[in-house]
Amino acid sequence: MDLENQRRIKDLTAKFGAENLIVVLGGAEAEASGLAAETVTAGDPTFAGPLAGVQLGLSVYHIFELKEQVDAKAYDEQISMMEMVLDVDAIIAEVSTMRNSYSKYGK
Amino acid sequence: MFPVIKGAAYTLFHAPNMLIGHGTTQVQERQKNADSDYLKKIPSFLRSFDACVSYPPNQSFIGTIAPRELDMLPKPWFQNPLPEAARFAPMGEVMPEDELYGVMKLCDSFELVLLTPEFAAATAAKLATHPAFVGADLSKLKQVSDHETISKLVGDHVAEPLMLGDNLVGCVRRAHDSDLSLTAHIIYENIVAMASAVVTVRNLMLKSGLNPLDVDYIIECSEEACGDMNQRGGGNFAKAIGEVVGFVNATGSDTRGFCAAPAHAMVTAAALVKAGIYKNVVVVAGGATAKLGMNGKDHVQKQMPILEDVLGGFAIWVAENDGINPIIRTDVVGRHSIGSGSSPQAVMTAIVTDPLDRSNIKLAEVDVYGVEMQNPEVTVPAGAGNVPEANYKMIAALGVKRGELERADIGKFVSKHGLPGFAPTQGHIPSGVPVIGHARQEMLAGQIKRAMIIGKGSLFLARMTNLFDGVSFVMEQNPGLSTPTTAVLHTTRIGITLLGSEHGLAEIVRGAEQAARFNPELEVVLIGPRVDSSLRQVVADCESTQHEAMEKMLASGELQACVTMHYSFPIGVATVGRVTTPARGREMFIATTTGTAATDRTLAMVKNAIAGLAAAKASGIQNPTLGILNVDSARTVERHLHTLAENGYPITFAESVRQDGGCVMRGNDLLVGAPDVMVTDTLTGNVLMKVFSAYSTGGDYEALGYGYGPGVGEGYGRVVLILSRASGAPVVAGAIKYAGDLAKGRLLAVAAAEFSAANKAGLAALFNKSAEAASTAIADITPPAAKPVTEEIAGIDILDLEDAVREVWRAGIFAGTGMGCTGPVIQTAAEDYAAAFAILAKAGYVKA
Repeated sequence: MDLENQRRIKDLTAKFGAENLIVVLGGAEAEASGLAAETVTAGDPTFAGPLAGVQLGLSVYHIFELKEQVDAKAYDEQISMMEMVLDVDAIIAEVSTMRNSYSKYGK
Repeated sequence: MFPVIKGAAYTLFHAPNMLIGHGTTQVQERQKNADSDYLKKIPSFLRSFDACVSYPPNQSFIGTIAPRELDMLPKPWFQNPLPEAARFAPMGEVMPEDELYGVMKLCDSFELVLLTPEFAAATAAKLATHPAFVGADLSKLKQVSDHETISKLVGDHVAEPLMLGDNLVGCVRRAHDSDLSLTAHIIYENIVAMASAVVTVRNLMLKSGLNPLDVDYIIECSEEACGDMNQRGGGNFAKAIGEVVGFVNATGSDTRGFCAAPAHAMVTAAALVKAGIYKNVVVVAGGATAKLGMNGKDHVQKQMPILEDVLGGFAIWVAENDGINPIIRTDVVGRHSIGSGSSPQAVMTAIVTDPLDRSNIKLAEVDVYGVEMQNPEVTVPAGAGNVPEANYKMIAALGVKRGELERADIGKFVSKHGLPGFAPTQGHIPSGVPVIGHARQEMLAGQIKRAMIIGKGSLFLARMTNLFDGVSFVMEQNPGLSTPTTAVLHTTRIGITLLGSEHGLAEIVRGAEQAARFNPELEVVLIGPRVDSSLRQVVADCESTQHEAMEKMLASGELQACVTMHYSFPIGVATVGRVTTPARGREMFIATTTGTAATDRTLAMVKNAIAGLAAAKASGIQNPTLGILNVDSARTVERHLHTLAENGYPITFAESVRQDGGCVMRGNDLLVGAPDVMVTDTLTGNVLMKVFSAYSTGGDYEALGYGYGPGVGEGYGRVVLILSRASGAPVVAGAIKYAGDLAKGRLLAVAAAEFSAANKAGLAALFNKSAEAASTAIADITPPAAKPVTEEIAGIDILDLEDAVREVWRAGIFAGTGMGCTGPVIQTAAEDYAAAFAILAKAGYVKA
């Protein structure tokens, strides 16, 4: 996860509280999505950004996991095409593993 | 009338020293930690120039092979070099780093590029023989500096070094002492972008025949910015490039838009020509040093060579409609507008389906899509996935959503309408444009009708907007002009040398003109003294200069094949003739007719068989049948070929037309043309060629068939076909047609594959074994008591007959020798036949 986004998440957490924040990922690939999920829960695994060593334990989902929560029309317009293209199962497996291991809120 | 794409050139520049010195990844690493492990490891992960040239995706980029062929080659590509690879290819070249440094000096108007005297002289000599720099002004390479000045400038950090390994051969110095837009680093990047564009435009002129005086406008579309502190990015690369290549009647401008810039530039060029503002517009971009080795850390970590060791360039000629070249459909242009939305779906809809819908074209009616063509071998190890494949899947998924295809057919759509990635990761270079050249050639050859070229750009990188960008256009086969045109469509260029015939120059020219008339897809080029002919001519005054010109044009890719006479091939190369047999008019390949495949007779004939199969396959016969002419060694050759076939080298043996059949061929089979490929020793083959070519004329004038054919041998890299001094015009025409078939059938690739398959099947081992067998000869064995012999064992080579019979004696069996009706035989008593046969089969004298 790039350093700028790490900083923004850190700031938002400080402002609103970790229990009030849900991170929604839109990564196109399982490994990268898993790394992002790890960064906002257990801390930046590359130890390069503001979240290095910071275990926010945020609630984190990939948008594919929230299909039922999203307006069907909006999902169809924005997401449904990529749902056919990407390896949805692998992405969900990776993100949910991170969430189940490190999230402290809203699992 | 729509504008057309009249030419396209693509270049690569092998740049390992630039990678180390100026790739952003390496520069940043050095700033953080100059002693880092990664920096230390880089040199051992860099490729040689030859490895870079023979890398299959690179050869596809410059046009040696179609991108689709990459899918059929073994992976990883970096471990499987392309056998027929060459620096100069049909659409461009791979240039080594030293020559690029030289061209940087040619681009230098402000004495910013300093070269050492020795390096400048050596590079000037190299560029003087470069086919794309014929006639270029190289005088700037005489303005040299000295080692001391260059070392001091580099040491003072006011110049960027030009390195070749450990040698400092020059530098690029800053253009101002305090202006941050004119630092040595920026000037270096900009001059590299300019020089690589210059080389690419010169290749475009060479390959397409573009006259520099005809160009009205240049659009440069790279990702660099030139200007000073008061106008950073002010421009104008286009005009600077045009000046160096001699476009004296042109002006130009730079178009920017990240990776989408080339597509924007193509649409702009098409619009300018369509509107009639300009007649000939060149769209060009050179390479980006910053992106060299961008994913180097991942490649090193994965123990693979750093594949991002090349700069890329392309140049496209957009011109008024000529009725021949593919058109740009200016009415089918896609654009991602500011209000389109940034989801992948919104982007693909705006760029791909919206323009097609406006013209009622279905997704599947576009034969091929040119998307971001990044080579997956570079991006996958870096975790960026297979970029073109992801794009093709998105187009297919959009088709599913629109009900144009079934979800289960996404994979099928991707393989039918997509291509494997073959372009270097140079940002703007892979973005759609690499497909233009291949699509153009396939449209000219009638293989495809329509292509969509898509460019996409990530604008957020400039931190000015978070918007995405994308532009597309459609190119189509030219439906022709309503008024007839005199121009001719050529897809393959074949040379013919004129001097040397016993029938005189005019005879050869007559044959060449006949070939050009009968084969409109071939452009025939005459090489020799100037003659009165409408064909293109390259002047050469004697036989040796003819051959020099021929070799140079073959090496540069200007000719795909050449027909000549009295030309020497190295040992290992022999020619495969092609005749029309008299009994049924069947074509037959005679392998071989001149040259020497090997000094050992049997090995030579086995290699002749492989060469013959290669020539037949390249001529379009998918599964040629093979027969062995019943000359000395035929039976041994038959046995060896069967062993190769059993070991996995596929051979389909022909059947003799005579009642007893078999693949050893008799005189009757020659006249009937029983096999597609007739294997013989070269001298016999040569006699046969003359008989087949001249029997209808009484002798001294060869009037029939296709001549003595191409020299084929393992590792031989040219397609040169041989005529006899007695060959008449019809054979000249036949040979040119044969050359065209072989060029289109990619003889060099086919031959490389055949030899490789035969080697895998144990070709070399076969001959080591026969040498051993010969060394343990059995001359001392004496015959057992004689008895009447009534049975015959055939299939033994005459040269082996005496050894074979002693082998039978050794087992206590009496046997005699004789000549049966198909050749030599061993005779035994009826009760001994089975045992004797088993002994001979075990010893390898006959086939079990």
